[in-house]
Amino acid sequence: MKAKPMASAKRETTDALAHLVRRFEHGSRVPGWDEAADLTKDPAVVPDPATTPVPPELASLIEVSMTRYPDRRSAAIPALRAAQDHHGWLSPSAIEQVAAVMRLTPGYLIAVASFYDMFEHRPVGQNTIYVCTNISCSLRGADKVFEAMVDAVGDDPDFNVRSFECLGACDIAPMASVNAVYVGPLSISDCDTIVAQLRAGQPTLPDKQLGGRPVARAWWASGRHPEGEPAGGRGAEGPTAIGN
Amino acid sequence: MPRPEVKLVTFSLDGREVTAPENAMLVDGAKYGDMNIPVFCYEPKLGAPVGACRMCLVEIEGIPKLQTACSTPVKDGMVVHTQTDRVHEAQRAIVEFLLINHPLDCPVCDKGGECPLQDITYGWGPGTTRFIEPKRHFRKPLELSPLIAIDRERCIMCYRCVRFSQEIAEDYQLVIQERGANSYISTFDGRPYVAPFSGNITELCPVGALTSSTYRFRARPWDIEGSGSVCTLCPAQCNVELTVRDDRVMRVLARDHDGVDDGWLCDKGRYAFQYTHVDERITQPLVRGSGGLQPSSWEQALHAAAGALELAAGKIAAVAGGETTNEEAFLAQRLLRDQLGSNHLCASPAAELPARLARALAAPRLQATVADLEFADTILILDCDPVDEATIWDLRIRKGVRRNHVKLAIASARPTALDPNAAVTLRHAPGQLEGLLVSLDAALTGDEGNLSGASTAAGTKAAEVRALASLLSGGGGEVVIVASERSLTPAAAAALLNMASRLGLSGRDGAGLLLAPTSGNGRGLREAGFASGMGPGYAPVDQAGLGGMVVAELAATVSVLYLLHADVLRTHPDRDAWAEALRTVPTVIAHESVMTDTVREYADVVFPAEAYPEKEGTVVHPDGRLQRLRPAIGRPGAVRAGWWVIAELSARAGASDERFAAASEVSDALFAAVPHFRGLTLDAIGGRGLRWQETDAAAAFDPPAWEPVRLSVPDAAPGGLRLGTFRTLWASKEVDMSPILRFARPAPLIELSAVDAARLGIAHGEEVEVACPVRPGEAGHGPARPGNGDGHRLRGPAVVRAAVPPGSVFVPEGIRAAPANLLTGTVVEVRGLHTRVEVPSVLGVTAAQGIEGRSQQPTESDAVGGIGGDAPLAPQEGSGDQTADAPSASDEDSDPDTATGGAA
Amino acid sequence: MELLFKDIDAPGLNTLRVYEQRGGYEMSRRALDMHPATALEELQASGVRGRGGAGFAMGKKASFLPQGDMDKYLVCNADESEPGTFKDRELMQKNPHLLIEGVLISAHAVGANKAFIYIRGEYDYVADILEAALAEAKAAGHVGALDLWCHRGAGAYICGEETALLDSLEGKRGNPRLKPPFPAVQGLYQGPTLINNVETLMNAPIILRMGGAEYAKIGTETSTGTKVVSVSGCVQRPGNYEVVLGTPTREIIFDLAGGPPEGRSIKCFFPGGSSSPVLPGTDENLDLPYDFDALQKAGTMLGSGAIIVVDDSVPILDVCMKTAKFYRHESCGKCTPCREGTNWTVKMLERIERGEATPMDLDIMSSICDNIIGNCLCVLGDAMAMPVSSMIKHFRKEFEAHMEHMQLTSTEMSRGPHAGPYDVLEPIGVATAALG
Ligand SMILES: Cc1cc2nc3c(=O)[nH]c(=O)nc-3n(C[C@H](O)[C@H](O)[C@H](O)COP(=O)(O)O)c2cc1C
Ligand code: SF4
Ligand code: FES
Repeated sequence: MKAKPMASAKRETTDALAHLVRRFEHGSRVPGWDEAADLTKDPAVVPDPATTPVPPELASLIEVSMTRYPDRRSAAIPALRAAQDHHGWLSPSAIEQVAAVMRLTPGYLIAVASFYDMFEHRPVGQNTIYVCTNISCSLRGADKVFEAMVDAVGDDPDFNVRSFECLGACDIAPMASVNAVYVGPLSISDCDTIVAQLRAGQPTLPDKQLGGRPVARAWWASGRHPEGEPAGGRGAEGPTAIGN
Repeated sequence: MPRPEVKLVTFSLDGREVTAPENAMLVDGAKYGDMNIPVFCYEPKLGAPVGACRMCLVEIEGIPKLQTACSTPVKDGMVVHTQTDRVHEAQRAIVEFLLINHPLDCPVCDKGGECPLQDITYGWGPGTTRFIEPKRHFRKPLELSPLIAIDRERCIMCYRCVRFSQEIAEDYQLVIQERGANSYISTFDGRPYVAPFSGNITELCPVGALTSSTYRFRARPWDIEGSGSVCTLCPAQCNVELTVRDDRVMRVLARDHDGVDDGWLCDKGRYAFQYTHVDERITQPLVRGSGGLQPSSWEQALHAAAGALELAAGKIAAVAGGETTNEEAFLAQRLLRDQLGSNHLCASPAAELPARLARALAAPRLQATVADLEFADTILILDCDPVDEATIWDLRIRKGVRRNHVKLAIASARPTALDPNAAVTLRHAPGQLEGLLVSLDAALTGDEGNLSGASTAAGTKAAEVRALASLLSGGGGEVVIVASERSLTPAAAAALLNMASRLGLSGRDGAGLLLAPTSGNGRGLREAGFASGMGPGYAPVDQAGLGGMVVAELAATVSVLYLLHADVLRTHPDRDAWAEALRTVPTVIAHESVMTDTVREYADVVFPAEAYPEKEGTVVHPDGRLQRLRPAIGRPGAVRAGWWVIAELSARAGASDERFAAASEVSDALFAAVPHFRGLTLDAIGGRGLRWQETDAAAAFDPPAWEPVRLSVPDAAPGGLRLGTFRTLWASKEVDMSPILRFARPAPLIELSAVDAARLGIAHGEEVEVACPVRPGEAGHGPARPGNGDGHRLRGPAVVRAAVPPGSVFVPEGIRAAPANLLTGTVVEVRGLHTRVEVPSVLGVTAAQGIEGRSQQPTESDAVGGIGGDAPLAPQEGSGDQTADAPSASDEDSDPDTATGGAA
Repeated sequence: MELLFKDIDAPGLNTLRVYEQRGGYEMSRRALDMHPATALEELQASGVRGRGGAGFAMGKKASFLPQGDMDKYLVCNADESEPGTFKDRELMQKNPHLLIEGVLISAHAVGANKAFIYIRGEYDYVADILEAALAEAKAAGHVGALDLWCHRGAGAYICGEETALLDSLEGKRGNPRLKPPFPAVQGLYQGPTLINNVETLMNAPIILRMGGAEYAKIGTETSTGTKVVSVSGCVQRPGNYEVVLGTPTREIIFDLAGGPPEGRSIKCFFPGGSSSPVLPGTDENLDLPYDFDALQKAGTMLGSGAIIVVDDSVPILDVCMKTAKFYRHESCGKCTPCREGTNWTVKMLERIERGEATPMDLDIMSSICDNIIGNCLCVLGDAMAMPVSSMIKHFRKEFEAHMEHMQLTSTEMSRGPHAGPYDVLEPIGVATAALG
């Protein structure tokens, strides 16, 4: 990059001031907003298959899903998910690999990938925990569960804890999706258990998994609800204030 | 393909009856009733409406919700209200919504004064806002590419720019990332948005979010004047509006003409205007003395040139380049042919076709138009990449394929940018278009013998040729064939004419040939008579001259070489032979606007020439449209009009008594001399141009219908790696000289197939060397001479591409640093040098630049590094005044933002 | 009465063997023997309305698809992302073959030759079950010539909106399209497309078995059949309950779901997912028959059939904030009112929460909501604006009380860190001085 003495000096000053100015307190959640293009890089055209090596397993997964649709672009989401599974996250090179196989520009794919919540654009731990913090779950204490989950994980890089919109299991609220296994209703202490179980490679809260639960009518009639989980769920916590 | 028919319907608009074309969108329909419905996202050029901004809401009786006028087609009897309280309320609401995060920095915004958001806010907005939360603030301006700055605060998410990238240019580089209020315009992984047409987004953006780095803080709408002209940097001849301030071109805008450019410009056309104001402009006459080229007076220079002409006694040749106007070409050929008795006229780097073929190809009944590309049943592209040959056609073809399902067939040696859009692609060996066309012709007639012989000769398969033939003959009769004159040998031309006749293209509306000449006004040069084998209007001549310029012969034949906007060392094949000719010919007269190698090294007399924004005259579009160039700015320094200089030379050479007082008089003389231009006037051509085929005079040019001839199978291409060359749109001196386009200057590279690379053990990015072995007696090869063959090697990084067919190697032409026209053979040897070098991208982006609120102006001394370290010959007045830092108030504002923060 | 939930917990119902033992795929076989028009007639006669949100009569929508032998598509909307809704999950997880059979019948009725089940990405484990069932059904030859695939999404609520779903299925960003053209005419890959919710399609085999006319006798005249209602939030027994349409809401919330926890009363409830305007927990509202028309008449909607109960211990501001933030997060950003309006609403709510607002801001907020409603490209914007303005309407007092409370408790008359432009300039000066 060419030196830009004036502007960068100015920028340094603003950066230095930023923490003193309350207006800037909470920064940007969206990483791209303040980023310029890097003019030392090449434009992102469709990667040439001759010079873009793609792991064969990944390539064949993508090829297979492209055959299912009248338009190969339909395979974008399945392909990106396959790439994410393969690489752990959607690194630029992972996206370029998908682009090379699908004969699309990486731009097309990043536009798609950044639209959907389940794609990771930074390296993340391999244990994915989505804690639902939407309305039904937070009416039953999900915000606290999320905090507890974050605390339980600490700074362990193997974990990726995210608060998520309604995961479609409000019957077991508050709940979480732990590596795609739905568990609930969760108490604060369950968070530590979940983390410990994941570290030990054990199944997650087997008796709180959604899988084996009969429909509500039968479930509530059966009386076999997990210990310590009174209906209505908030017991001693008093009036719920939904955290935001 | 039938073009849409327009039926008129009547609907009620605010209680008035309005008649408008049926199915026009209401926004457009309302204009027939003089009603302006505000829009942001609607831009018909971008394809189907998206209905995103919601600015155009109107009330339609019978539909409970307000409807978007941009997406509602006008129907007979529809009752529309645009002035009800409900509509007003909605419009105010939308403006209020749009402004809540818009910075309102209009006083320091380049768009101020020509900003749709400003205008609509004044016209339809609420006037106040109830938004008291802090606005979002982002860093600004940021580079989106060397050419474009982005200011995301100002963006109103109208989707125009991304729709352009995705649906018009189809480069799909510019995208929206994230969603909802977090959405922003961006590229993948911080890559620059560099593509042949990227600059159009600066014109599309309805706010100041996307600005041209060359125009930032340069002028206000009230400082500038617009001046219409035609870009002559390539044969597409797009209509442009030059924005002028203080007699300098500040920017180039599209001047929408759907018969030419459909309202778009390429980045070369948009940004290479800078070459008009560079230090390399030649602004006064030069004469070579003992100390090299020395400034001289016009009198001295004209005297020297006239003297040389007199001495030459008819032993003179002239070469013209694509910026030459019809008038200049006409006068120059008259000088040579009529006065000096020489037919040595060369208007193209490619060999000139025999007059019979040239006439047949130019027949009005065979002529397709640019608009036909949009509505054809089938387009066949022959051995060229439209984006390089006539750049804007690329977009037109994409439009046809995307919107009208035109079937595209491509037969070419090198992969083209349009391949992904093609129904059929076929690769042949470089230089074997002839074989391909012979086999295609054979496939159309069922001549199996020729088909298999010629397809083998062309290095392709008979089955593929057959598939192509059946697409052409079975897909509806409107076939448009696009080819470049560069690769059209006489035999190929004959085969092409055969095919056209077999497909019945002659006289069929919407079908025919569209040939891209080798240079901007290539067709005009020929029609004005600047050709060795044809006079004005394709008239026969007694004895053809050295047209395609058999250069070695030329050197021996002539004693004066007149170069009219011609940079032969760069553009013509066999650079060595040209250098030799330039060295041996006693007098080289160069009529040129900028200092090229040819001029610097070899010219003896130099006349400063006009750049196109200074020119007055006419040019001919490849489809026969005469278009007018009109001067937008004055001529710098001592530059004089091209026509005047040639006329003056004529006079000094003792010409007739005809004298011209104005450019228009030369035009009149041209119109009178060319039979099929007869009766034309500059007024009739006007601002939109006029296709001569559509005038009465066209009857004057009516070559007999082509009778298919028997074709013979050409010799097979020799074995080994075959060399193909290509010329990207960026390979031009105007690009080299425009500082802002420094990044786009093509770099040397050597394209190989993956198969050959593996065989030769060459890795992508490895430096390789291409050499032509000397093979005496090889077809198409001149006699071995020093410097040919082993003396010539070209080095560059290997670019391994999956789409390159095995057996072919491609090198780019027209690169100053690595002239591919040194290589003259057809078969090459390639070897790896085992060092890694930087691979230039497809577009040759190698260098970086900064924008940061100020633009690159042509005066920075480092900016012209590529041209060599010559001292400016004629420093241009006022050229140093533009480098002051721009008043970048917005810089101050480039704070970290307060962001909305996402939910959850 | 249980139609969809009949035998739902039978062991192994998700396997082909068990499903077939219980008469599975009989109806799809019977349908394939019928003329498509006859099958379509049955569906139309049943009067079954869409269970996905809009409540449009399924048979009628199917009848909009043009005749002809172009490629036609059937898309099953299994994106179920409406907060509070979890019925499709349970249905697909436990009885995937019923969905496949429903798809087969409906595809035959409209002449679709390709079909996709678009399932939200988070439901990976359900998708696994569904895909296994699909493989079994294909292997057994039940799927026949229909090109049927399960397509997993990747997390975006807006992809439940039918046209956004189509874009997403085409591999694009899930942006809704302009309507018209409606999907029935120009949908997936520009071909005619029928889109229905999981539950809607699952009714098809049942309708065929009973006969459309017989099915129509269940429920009310305009809301026929049963509905699986997801009850969640402040109730004692959250879960999915299948009820006959028209059942009093009170019965669902209290008798089935156990009502609010001991000692609490219902402050309000969302009758049809978080997009529906809330109803205060008055007797009058609780007595509303749970069907499409009664709820619409009451100013709200049945939506996806998800009742979220909010009890009196929950501040309405919190509910309002959660709702608004959800829609801001899920707005696709294509159209102005939704993108900017949801964002603005959240910012205002945050200001209200911080105690920097006055009752006038409530008026502005309702006006913003009014400016969103009806002006957007799809109804996601409306889906935020309607519940938010219903909360302001019904609980204005509570919002005002919050404001007053914050005024009283704040120690000094601070303008707050985020208020207006005035102190924006000030700190810069202060900061510079501090640095200098
Ligand atoms: C923002 C939004 C989200 C929606 N989400 C869903 C959904 O998750 N599942 C669903 O079946 N329908 C959803 N819909 C409704 C669909 O647009 C569509 O009406 C439905 O799939 C049609 O199927 P049906 O007629 O069987 O109900 C949603 C609509 C909107 C506007
Ligand atoms: S940058 Fe300009 S053209 Fe692009 S979306 Fe924003 S306002 Fe529209
Ligand atoms: S102009 Fe109609 S919605 Fe944008």
